[in-house]
Amino acid sequence: MAAEAPVDDVPWVLSAAVDAAFYQAVYPELGAGGYEAVRDYATWGWRQGRDPAPWFSAAAYLADNPDVRQAGREPLEHFLTQGRLEGRAAVPSEKAEAYRLVRARGEAPPAWRLEDLLAAAPVVSAFLEPGPRPAPVPPAPPPEPDPDEAALAGPEFDADFYLRVNPDIVAAGVDPLAHFLAAGWREGRDPALWFSIRDYQEIYPDIAQAKVNPFLHYLAAGRAEGRTARNALGFRYDILAKLRPVAERTAAAARAAGAVAAQPAEVLAEAVSLSRTGLKDLHITFSHDDYPRNFGGMQLCLQREDAEFAALGRDHLHLYPSAPWLVVRTAGEPGPLGVLLNGREVGIFTAETVAQVLRATDPRRNGARSYAVHSLLGHNADETADILEAAGMKAGFFWLHDFASLCAGFHLLRNDVEDCAAPPPGSAACGICSYGEYRARHLDEHRRLFERLDLTVVSPSEPTLALWKARAEGPARKTVVLPHARLTDAGPAPVPAESGPLRIAYLGMPAAHKGWPVFRDLTIRHGSDPRYRFLHLGARPDPALALEFHEVVVTPARPRAMLETLAALEVDAVLIWPMCRETFSFTAYEAVAAGCAVITSPESGNVAAFVSENGFGLVLPDQAALSDAVASGRLEDLARGRRAPRRYELSYSGMTADLVRQRR
Amino acid sequence: MKVLAYSSFTFSYLNRARVLFESLRRHHPDWELVALMTDEPPPGFDFDPASEPFDRVVWASDLGIPNFKSWLFKHDIIEVSTAVKGPFIHQACAGGADVVIYLDPDTTLFAPLDPLLDWLGDHDILLTPHLIDPNDDHMAILDNDISTLRTGIYNLGFVAIRTTGEGARFAKWWNDRLLSYCYDDIPTGLFVDQRWCDHVPALFDKVKVIRDPGYNVASWNLSRRTLAVGKDGAITVNGYPLRFWHFTKLGPLGDVMTKRYAGDNFPVYEIWAWYKRQVAAATDPAIPDRWWAYGRFADGEPIEKAQRVLYRQRGDLQAAYPDPFASGRGTFQDWLAHEAA
Repeated sequence: MAAEAPVDDVPWVLSAAVDAAFYQAVYPELGAGGYEAVRDYATWGWRQGRDPAPWFSAAAYLADNPDVRQAGREPLEHFLTQGRLEGRAAVPSEKAEAYRLVRARGEAPPAWRLEDLLAAAPVVSAFLEPGPRPAPVPPAPPPEPDPDEAALAGPEFDADFYLRVNPDIVAAGVDPLAHFLAAGWREGRDPALWFSIRDYQEIYPDIAQAKVNPFLHYLAAGRAEGRTARNALGFRYDILAKLRPVAERTAAAARAAGAVAAQPAEVLAEAVSLSRTGLKDLHITFSHDDYPRNFGGMQLCLQREDAEFAALGRDHLHLYPSAPWLVVRTAGEPGPLGVLLNGREVGIFTAETVAQVLRATDPRRNGARSYAVHSLLGHNADETADILEAAGMKAGFFWLHDFASLCAGFHLLRNDVEDCAAPPPGSAACGICSYGEYRARHLDEHRRLFERLDLTVVSPSEPTLALWKARAEGPARKTVVLPHARLTDAGPAPVPAESGPLRIAYLGMPAAHKGWPVFRDLTIRHGSDPRYRFLHLGARPDPALALEFHEVVVTPARPRAMLETLAALEVDAVLIWPMCRETFSFTAYEAVAAGCAVITSPESGNVAAFVSENGFGLVLPDQAALSDAVASGRLEDLARGRRAPRRYELSYSGMTADLVRQRR
Repeated sequence: MKVLAYSSFTFSYLNRARVLFESLRRHHPDWELVALMTDEPPPGFDFDPASEPFDRVVWASDLGIPNFKSWLFKHDIIEVSTAVKGPFIHQACAGGADVVIYLDPDTTLFAPLDPLLDWLGDHDILLTPHLIDPNDDHMAILDNDISTLRTGIYNLGFVAIRTTGEGARFAKWWNDRLLSYCYDDIPTGLFVDQRWCDHVPALFDKVKVIRDPGYNVASWNLSRRTLAVGKDGAITVNGYPLRFWHFTKLGPLGDVMTKRYAGDNFPVYEIWAWYKRQVAAATDPAIPDRWWAYGRFADGEPIEKAQRVLYRQRGDLQAAYPDPFASGRGTFQDWLAHEAA
């Protein structure tokens, strides 16, 4: 993981982003551990083609970006502070897979992807938030500001905001207003949440050309002239501005997958020979990643499925694309499979090798057999069916954890900005969607899968299944609804002794598709209303907002962390306002289990259904209605004192194992 | 009904025209699609009209315009690309089509244009105004309402006519005017082919002004139009199906105007993001940036606008130098270097 290190001559962000353990493991000849690894990479390593982290190949980045190479820029720092915002791609290190296998023997997992790094190193996340980027060198002490400028800007300059979004200014210990007036505005750093230097310069090119401080211009003249302090384009504009073409991301995935070397069949055969039953009793699963190493709803489901099949005494063979794919693969696209056997990493093999090893087991010995496709992302329909055929299986289960079987945009978010409900593939909406041209691929591959296999579709909720039935092509299929969790009444929930302001919380990462901008706008608009107290519970805060933040990190070791924190803080209501329809939503179940009400939108899929069917909160038609409900005080009906809520225990399903048991 | 749709452009707009013609072909596979080009292919670019998404190319030099080189030289790239629209539409009236539709190369269809053909049952000429709703905001009035008073009420990125009756009479009149007066000269009351059409409702009968907001959506009317994408997959503008968009000013200037008037109406940015991806995919790197074969003298020296204006104002120069593009002794270029100063 990232090394603990002081900031010195090494670019600041590198000290947090270089994976020292990886660096030491794959370049043992250097003997460079800890901060020495960071220093070596920053000074010599990248020039000699050494990679700083498993998810980043320095050589590939320089090869893909000749302008960076010609400018003599160090690639990782360029990618983190500039390249990724420009839509440039990072390719995993060629040494990553070998390292992964070594690490799979039980050590702590390294950061395999940028997202892992962001989750694990909040300082890097803060640094990489959209918006102004700190200078690569620590800021020099600014000169004394012009007294007139300081007097003009001072009353409106938000020093707390400036320090929150610019951790390098905090580290340098310089006066924020003096820094802003001397250098900050030139670097595009905003003086307050409500004013954007870059927007003002873009809207008024004369101001940009004159090279005057836009904030001072606005305060002295622009405001009186009715000029705009910041574009009001909405958060969806920002998402669209950063949207990378699916073709580009798919090409990067193909490149990464093509660089992965597969291992010989003997390695897999040996692991099989040492398994619980030698694959006599076998459960096979397919998903988009390796569930023990990544963390999320689907991964939790697979962990439970693994445990349940262990209890049934079966071997569990899990197959996933060794390099992550955004879409399903078509024939000919490289995609060696990572193989987990009973939760342990075996290695990386071609689909043919997996099928060959399965075929080699004696069919007369075959005992209980089952399979479940949890996600086809990164898989190919025919390869998948071939593997199952080799294992002698045809009947099995297909899970609707998302809508990848309807579109490559598996959240059904057109251009990542609006729920589309999977309209007809030839519609105008699909025509302008970045996923549109990949929709046929997903429909074709899933059609092939359903043609070759005898699949029962399993949905974690009714609304998910209803949409899928309405939109899926082909003949009707066997379907079943199996919720991931159920609530069991555990008595009355605690009610605060004193009636204070209504506590409204947002849970999890401050990410747009989970509804953070909706919560953020609510807190900006109503944050000073004494009737409310807004809280954010998650792994990292949004530095742009001065909001009550409680660090909550849910891990396999602490799966109830969020539930317990909600109960301890006696949160009244949780805002769950995702952009995309949720197929289940553990978050909603956790919130209700902790005694909270849930506030959501009609487009939230199972969240809205869960809330409206059980009276667990409010489903409001849109953001305007949400804001009205806050302003009018209607939300105060959600206070624990008024609702007298119940507490619940969450009992989780056994996933596919429940269905297999039913069949026996 | 036989329909001919055409667009006028140079090689630097071939990428945009490809996107337009692909959309036309998708929605109207039975229409004849014509590229009207006032240019010559750049060296190193292998132009194969058979592999383009249009049916044929008509070169401006083949329109039979008298003294073509001399006539051409009087115009800059915008002026001439709009001027040739007149001769083409006039000649097309005798070419067998029942309906001729012009679309700018930076427009794109998002739904079929069938209602146009219905309207042409009762009318001979269809025009789309820049604005169909007035603005109230000062900035919007300056940017849109007052601006169109200078450049023309109707946007001539689109016009559709019947090839008979008033449609044919309009085509002949437009041809005549554009051959002589298609200049960007706002102080004189001219703005290329467009300002002329302010006269159309007065000079011709059977004119329909299209007030459906789904036609010719552009930054200049976004202040009064709201885009939505439905769960049925339809894209609508103020509740009407989006027919075609005019992607004027692809680049930072267009972005600023679009943001100013679209605000948080995010489907507008989705449409633009899509268009930018399409244009990027349709761009051939073998065509140099800002290429125009008629932008330079024969020896490669760029022709300045003032030199074109001087030439078009001086009948004696036109008579003395019938090929003003030529280089060498005794040419207009030579005259400019030695006499004009």
